[in-house]
Amino acid sequence: MKAVEFKNITKTFGNFRANDDISFSIEKNSIHCILGENGAGKSTLMKVLFGSYKKDSGEIYVNENPVNFKSPLDAIKSGIGMLYQHFMLIEDFTILENVILGSEITAKTGINYTESKRRLNSLIDKYKLDLNLDDKVSDISIGAAQKTELLKLLYRDSEILIFDEPTAVLSPIEVENFFKIIRNFKEDGKTIILITHKLNEVKEIADEVSVLRKGKLVYSVKRENLDIKELGKQIIGDLELSIVISDDNLQAPEAKAEFEEIDVLLSLQNITLTENGLTKLFNINLDLHKGEILGVCGVEGNGQSELIELISGLNKNYTGLYSKNVRKISLVPDDRLKKGMIKEFSIGENLLMRLPGKNVFSKRLLKEKEQEVIAEYDVRVPEVGDIMENLSGGNQQKAIVAREIKLNCDVIIFSQPTRGVDIKASSFIHQKIYNEKMNGKGILLVSADLDELLALSDRLAVLFKGKIVKIFAGDEFLSGKQNSKELIGKIGQLMIGMEL
Amino acid sequence: MDLFGSILSVAFFAQVLRLFTPYYLGASAANFSERSGVVNIAIEGFMISAAFSFALFSIVFGNPFAGMFFALIIGILLSLLFALFTIKLKVNQIIAGVGFNLLMAGASKFLIVLIFKSSSNTSRFESFYQIPLLKDIPVIGNISGDYIILFSFALVFIGNHILFKTRFGLRLRSAGENPAAGESLGVNVRLYKLYGVLICGFLASLGGIWLASNQNTYSDGMIAGRGFIAIAAMIIGKWKPVNIFFACIMFAFFEALEILLQVSMPDFPTQIIQMLPYFITILVLIGFIGKTKPPAADGISY
Repeated sequence: MKAVEFKNITKTFGNFRANDDISFSIEKNSIHCILGENGAGKSTLMKVLFGSYKKDSGEIYVNENPVNFKSPLDAIKSGIGMLYQHFMLIEDFTILENVILGSEITAKTGINYTESKRRLNSLIDKYKLDLNLDDKVSDISIGAAQKTELLKLLYRDSEILIFDEPTAVLSPIEVENFFKIIRNFKEDGKTIILITHKLNEVKEIADEVSVLRKGKLVYSVKRENLDIKELGKQIIGDLELSIVISDDNLQAPEAKAEFEEIDVLLSLQNITLTENGLTKLFNINLDLHKGEILGVCGVEGNGQSELIELISGLNKNYTGLYSKNVRKISLVPDDRLKKGMIKEFSIGENLLMRLPGKNVFSKRLLKEKEQEVIAEYDVRVPEVGDIMENLSGGNQQKAIVAREIKLNCDVIIFSQPTRGVDIKASSFIHQKIYNEKMNGKGILLVSADLDELLALSDRLAVLFKGKIVKIFAGDEFLSGKQNSKELIGKIGQLMIGMEL
Repeated sequence: MDLFGSILSVAFFAQVLRLFTPYYLGASAANFSERSGVVNIAIEGFMISAAFSFALFSIVFGNPFAGMFFALIIGILLSLLFALFTIKLKVNQIIAGVGFNLLMAGASKFLIVLIFKSSSNTSRFESFYQIPLLKDIPVIGNISGDYIILFSFALVFIGNHILFKTRFGLRLRSAGENPAAGESLGVNVRLYKLYGVLICGFLASLGGIWLASNQNTYSDGMIAGRGFIAIAAMIIGKWKPVNIFFACIMFAFFEALEILLQVSMPDFPTQIIQMLPYFITILVLIGFIGKTKPPAADGISY
């Protein structure tokens, strides 16, 4: 039986055909992945299905009945649930309040909390969500926040679940847990539509895959015939990639095993950082060298953000010795919308804000600089001078990477440089990071994406509870990359605090 | 006269509870509005308008209940206008609030001159008939016999229950915290903002009515900044009905002390006592007494 069927869906914005005559169907009780670059039309198609957008033409069938949703509420009533990329949660509410909002169970005097809790706890137990209903959302982890979103869908009896890049914000352990949960959903007869950028996730979980490119359906394949390389090609079209990150190609060219003492740019010795009585970093010893990419991995919240703040000079409340042989450090922060840019400013304005010696500038210079970035970094803008907010995520990230590289600092920190960025832009950014290393820069790469870390890093430090539990380096690391499955297994164990 | 003894007396305590009433009504008013995400700094204006129209219609109809009825109707109509500006037309909420404050202060002054041929006050009128039996309790009779005072005490519990234990409260708060999230779950966010603003107009008006009924007249300037102190009390009370109760008691205590000192120690500079609540407010606002965090989407048009 078909859970969802698209027939000749077309959706345009002005002259732009976001969805162009798309037809395919999604089997009930399956996990169907939809792949494509940013702007390929995946999100548009899902929004058309969910009733957020009105389609220009075509038909949609849900459970083999024609539907025409006027708003997401209609879709929810028909058993469709959407897990948004940006959570729709109220920070000041408890998990319970967030879940029941809009569909409360009431008694005479108000909300029936006992019954609500009973129902929700049975769902939590059934799908092993491991949530405490009375926790405030502002106090819970990103993984728990996502599970709260899942619980919202389950509470509303959604049978068809749309997940828009659900793993972009999760650590590897949380991703594994998330996959377990959605397999449980499938076992329970639910249908899952998964939008993703990550090919290895597709390989792990998809029953069927559809690839969109420039608004058109270009490729469909069932699990039996899945070939990751072919998928990569289909997503990007005919362009060649310099670094495609997949299981087959994990080793970036010219990873270095040995570094000279004289090339040390940054040196941390016995660094400990305590905040509000909690030890965030403990006895850190770490050197960063010229021409090195030093990877840092760990489950989110194990000291990565504190380490970045410390090295970049945002936090000075540490004990120990931190010496720098460089004057300035540039930083590509993890949250591009909040920390990386002023989204109401243009690319040029965001760039000039950071460039030294440009206190007075002309409009001409602004435009010149902007066009330089656009050309060199292949940033797609609706028009020159447009504000950053109007750019897609990948293009925003490329502009920020461009800005930080153009500062020409000897040390560059990249934090989650490709989070939520499509494959093509990711590959582009990887290439730029690699180029900077070859230019003799020292690069600190903090990422939740192990493939990215393995592909690029010369050495890799694993953080657990604020301590560096291991630094993979030298032959052990470089030859370990040949057998990446085993290496990733080891790193994963270290990240959750297990001894090797 | 023993000042300390006076402060500990039942009469002083009763005075504090009376003065508490307009503060608590004003602060609860502001709280319902801000919980729905609409900042309403026009509490003062709403109190002025209600106090004046209550006096006017009580005189016209010779009945304070009729006066109250019309004052509340006018308060709700004015809230509808405020909602039109802030929710429908998305005017900056602070600017709309300033406008309402200035408008009410000016209009009441103008109407006093026009209707009562006086530069500063309306003629006097008969205040509320008090609640039988309850008004005869010794010492606290003028508290237990007063409808509005009793209502404002009950409001501590009613307000808390509505905001935190009911569907209505949950949805209202979602509008003030993250309207997009509420809307994605089918909550009619703008409707709940409207409810918040209307409840605000109703409660603030009740505060104004109490002040005028207490004086048996409306005189220009009688609200005397209580609408703004009420907003401060809401902030000190961290937008929680029970905490706001204590903040209002504090402001009422200092006001009662000021009145006591004026009588018992005419030479004591009462300005110092008058200063205290504002001084404390400033300390609170600079984070001296814990952190205060407004609803996340407070003041943002949606």
